[in-house]
This record gives sequence, C-alpha cells and structure tokens, in this order.
Amino acid sequence: MSKAKRLHPAAIVFNFVQGLKGWIFYIIISFVALRDSSILYFILGLLALLLIIFTFSFLSWYRFTYRIVADELRMEYGILIRKKRYISKNRIQSIDLTQGVIHRIFNLTKVQIETASSGTDAEASLKAVKLAEGERIRDQFKGHVIDPEQEDQPEVDSDPVFSISSRRLWLAGATSGSAGIILAFVGVGFSEIEQFIPEHFYDSMTAWIIGLSLIFIITLGIFLLFFIWILGILGTMIKYWKFTITKKDDELFITRGLLEKKQITIPIKRIQAVGINESVIRQPFGFVTLFAEVAGSSLDKGEDFSTVLFPILRKTEVKQFLDAILPGYDVEMDQSKSILVPKRGLKYYLIRASLIFVLLGIGTIFLLPKIIWFLIPVLLVFLGLGYLRFKNAAYQIDENRLIIQYRNLSKTTVMVYHKRIQAFEEKQHKLHQKENLATIKVSVLGKMGAGKVYKVKELDKENADKLADWYSYSVSNK
Amino acid sequence: MREPPKNRIALDAIKVWKITAAIYIGVLWLLIIAVGVLFYIFDFPFWIILTAAILNAINTYLFIFVIPELRWKKWKYEIFEQEIYIQHGILITTRTLVPMIRVQHVDTEQGPIMKKFKLASVTISTAATKHVIPALHEEDAANLRDGISSLARVEEDDV
Repeated sequence: MSKAKRLHPAAIVFNFVQGLKGWIFYIIISFVALRDSSILYFILGLLALLLIIFTFSFLSWYRFTYRIVADELRMEYGILIRKKRYISKNRIQSIDLTQGVIHRIFNLTKVQIETASSGTDAEASLKAVKLAEGERIRDQFKGHVIDPEQEDQPEVDSDPVFSISSRRLWLAGATSGSAGIILAFVGVGFSEIEQFIPEHFYDSMTAWIIGLSLIFIITLGIFLLFFIWILGILGTMIKYWKFTITKKDDELFITRGLLEKKQITIPIKRIQAVGINESVIRQPFGFVTLFAEVAGSSLDKGEDFSTVLFPILRKTEVKQFLDAILPGYDVEMDQSKSILVPKRGLKYYLIRASLIFVLLGIGTIFLLPKIIWFLIPVLLVFLGLGYLRFKNAAYQIDENRLIIQYRNLSKTTVMVYHKRIQAFEEKQHKLHQKENLATIKVSVLGKMGAGKVYKVKELDKENADKLADWYSYSVSNK
Repeated sequence: MREPPKNRIALDAIKVWKITAAIYIGVLWLLIIAVGVLFYIFDFPFWIILTAAILNAINTYLFIFVIPELRWKKWKYEIFEQEIYIQHGILITTRTLVPMIRVQHVDTEQGPIMKKFKLASVTISTAATKHVIPALHEEDAANLRDGISSLARVEEDDV
C-alpha cells in the first residue's frame, strides 16, 4: 500500500513544452502576419496563450496521481474528465526508464510501462519521478535490482554483460548511415558531375558566374558532406554512449545514451526474431548490427525499425554474443544447407533493381542527351545491386528454426522460430508459373503490433513448397 | 507439388462483385456526364472527356464482365484442423497458410448487397496479419467463424 503521489513538478515543464509544440506553427504564422501592423496584439495574444498552456500543464500535473496498491499501478488523471487506469503486475511486459537532459539535471527519470497491447504509445508513462522512485517502481513490478552507481563497474555476479568500447563506438559512428550518403555522392556523383556540368553551363550567358561559383559549390559540398559525416558520428555516439546489454534471468537490460539516458527491458519471451544487418559500408570491414524484433514494444519510436541488441559487432563475434545473451538463437547461415535463388531468377532481380532508374533515365536522355555518360555508370551500380540481391537471397531450415537472408541496400540475415511465424505466403505471377518460380513471404509480429514481413523472391517452386511443407501443420497436406 | 485448397467460395460472389463494381463505375459515369455537360457549356476541349469516357468504358468491361468471374475461379480455401489454407489472385496467385494457434480473432461481415444474396465475408486476424475470405453463405460463414474460434487457441508463451 502506498499513498497517492504526484509526479515531480518538473512534469509541468514537460507538459508545457509538449503543449507549446502543438501551437508553435500557429504562433509563427501569426507572428509573420501581424509583425508590422499589430505586434502589440501578437504579444498580448502570445502571453494569453502561454498562460493558458501553463495553466493546463499545471492542472494536468496537479490532477495526475499514481499509487501502487497490491501489485497494481493505479493512475488517476484528467483535468475535467477524470480517468483511472489500473495496470496489474502480471500484465506488465517491460518498464523502461528514460532520462532526458532536463531529467538528469534534477536527477529524475521518465518511466514507461508497456503491456502486451498493440498501441503505439506506452500504456502508461510517468513523465517525471525521482530516479530512485522510478527504480523502485521498476523493481517492484519486475523484481530486478540494478544499482545505477555500479553500472560502470563490472558486474559482480555471473550475468553476461556486453559493453561497447569507445573505439567500437567511434567506428560505429564513422560507418553509420550518414557515411552511406557521402559514399553515394563521392562514388557516383563527383567524378561525373565535373564532366558534364561545365560543358553544359559554360556556353550559357551566365557562364563565368557559375564557373566561379562552381568551385565554391564543390568546396561547400565537400564541407557539407564532411559535416554530415561528423553529425553521423556524433549522433551515434550520443545514442549508443556506454551501450551495455545484460541478461538477467529471462530478460535483457539495455542501458545507453549520453544526453538522454535510456534503460530498456526486453523480455526474452517477447522476442520474435533476431537478425544481423550488414550495411554496405560495414560489410567490407566485417562489422554487423545485431537487432531483434520485439512484439508490442514502442521503444525507440521513430528511430529504428527494430530494437538494436548491439550497435556494432564483428561478424565472427556474433555467435559468441548470442550464445551468452540469447541461447537458442543463431543467425549464421550454413552454405551447404542454405537454399539459394536459381539462375533463372536473376533477370527479375536485375529488372527490379534498375527499372525505375531506366525509365527515369530514358526520360532524361530525351532532354539531355549528353547525360548518358553519367547515367551508364549509375545503371551499372543498380544492376550490381540487383546482382548482389540475387546472390544474397536465401533461406535455410534448421529443425524448428528458419533463417532468411535478403538484401535491400544492406544485407539482412534474420532467424525466426517456427512458432513465431504468424502466416506464410507463397506467390506466383503468370511468368513465374511458366518458369516454375515462386516468391515466399513470412510474417512475424513486429513492434507496435504491426506485422514484419520477410521475403525471398523467385525461389524454385519446389523449394518454396518445401518451406510451405515445413511450415504447414497439416500432415494431410504434405 | 502442393495441391491447391479444395473449397470454392459462394457462386453468388460474382453477382455481388458485379453489382458493387457497377455502383462504383456508375458513379464514375455520372461524374463524367456531369463534367461533360460543364465542358459543353463552357466550351472546353472535348477530347479530355472523350478519353475519360473511353477509359471508363474499358473499366466497365474489365471490372463488371471479366474480373469477377476470374476472381471467383481463382478463389479457393480449405480449413484444416490446425491451419487455414487460402489461395487467390488473378495475375499473381497467392497461397497463404495461417496456423490455427496464431489466429487471434475471427470476424464475419455483411454489407447490404451481400445481405441480399445471404452472403458474408470472414476475416481472420493473427497478431500480425489479416486474411479475408470474401464471400461465403451466411451459415457457412457463421460455422466457419465458430469453428475457427473454437480451434484457435493461443499458446501461453507466445504473443
């Protein structure tokens, strides 16, 4: 039993900022509209609006109480319409603690409580409570004790712990997605742009201006790319600072973040699939990102599609990592057992990869015939990508486990248990039927209750059927 | 080679689809006529409306006279004790397997046109996907719904 408590008053600030966010657009518009003639009215109106928002923020803080009664979290809130929400302990899937910058100043934390429901938002969130209180709530409902002071020191007990080294973190940043943008620009862009821009522009009236500014533009471009790269490194550093994953009983704990400190709980039971992602930049160096599909979680909203289990690992370390953290999961493909796409499927991969580009290209060639020298290398890149996708597409059955490998831009290998597959689909269009090819689709429960689909296109019909038979429960159908 | 599913959906589905398509396309025709009248009054170029009319004529032919039959022909389903097996698609044939233990809930649904023909559609939802059997006789749909929901059991340790 405990008394009804309010959140820390800092919650008013969060409410206020949140309320203001919704109005900022209108504020800017009315500022632009009223700036000359009636700035006074604007200021008065703004003050009134701020006052109203503040009042609401204060009231919603004042009216929000929570208490813990016999393994139940009870919240009462709502300014005019009173709402009560009770969440019982055994319905709680995970409790995440997040500390933003403001939280850390006051030593507070945000508590997000997830249940199995498939909404996009956390079921319940306490915007600001004292860190100690947040941990008390988590421990009461999840029954785990992690001392935040001890985080940096090695754990005393034998629970497996993996932390990211600062060298690895730097490497992760340097090879993050932003590096990909640069590579695309540098690789295909610069060598070619120089060739055709001057010719095209020099005979125009404003040639010399552009000529002068071209050097400027290129310099600026290089600086910009460098800037993006640095941003990418910084972004990764801030996000994955001191990334630590621990296994405790049947749950994984992740702590990470420099400015915003996050503590995430993943119940192992809720993991639907585990996979590795080899981005184009990391693949040559043998580095991968390890991720998991966790059902019904709203972690990392809008950041990642899947929950990152470890931001950067050597491919050879994955097995050891999984053995320690997630026994029973293994994403390594056995070359001899894996089933690939037959040769006759290649043309579909090449066409798919290059079709949009070819159509766009043909259009452009009509307008700018010279551009063809620029387009051909790009086309080759697309065809190359298609070929790689063809080479990488594969599946492998290991008793009750299925491993699927595919490539969009980066190569993904994902492992899923038979019982985690929600539905299986086999697709054939008319041309496929003639060539005895089929595309397979495996649906898994992803985050936010949305399905996640893994596909292998243009498999041999026989192999597709083999997979269907493996999946099918009905003996009569085999 | 895997066998396709055995059961067909109700034959009246063709009529339902035809009527539904006729309503949609009828609205399009009305729109074209209305715009045509406006174009005539304001003396805008007529070929635009002519193209629209030709396109809609093709639509009419395809969606009322060709596609419903083909669609019905391709639609097959079979309910096993442990899974649901569905096949559909005219150009792209899709065969789907949904295990019973993955089924979260089953809905039947009936619009006004379907009601007239005593048909209903059955929607089978898993945690991640949705599968619709578009037209069954009312009793079949109800039986199927009850049958599936009694067969569907959610294992504790999963989702």
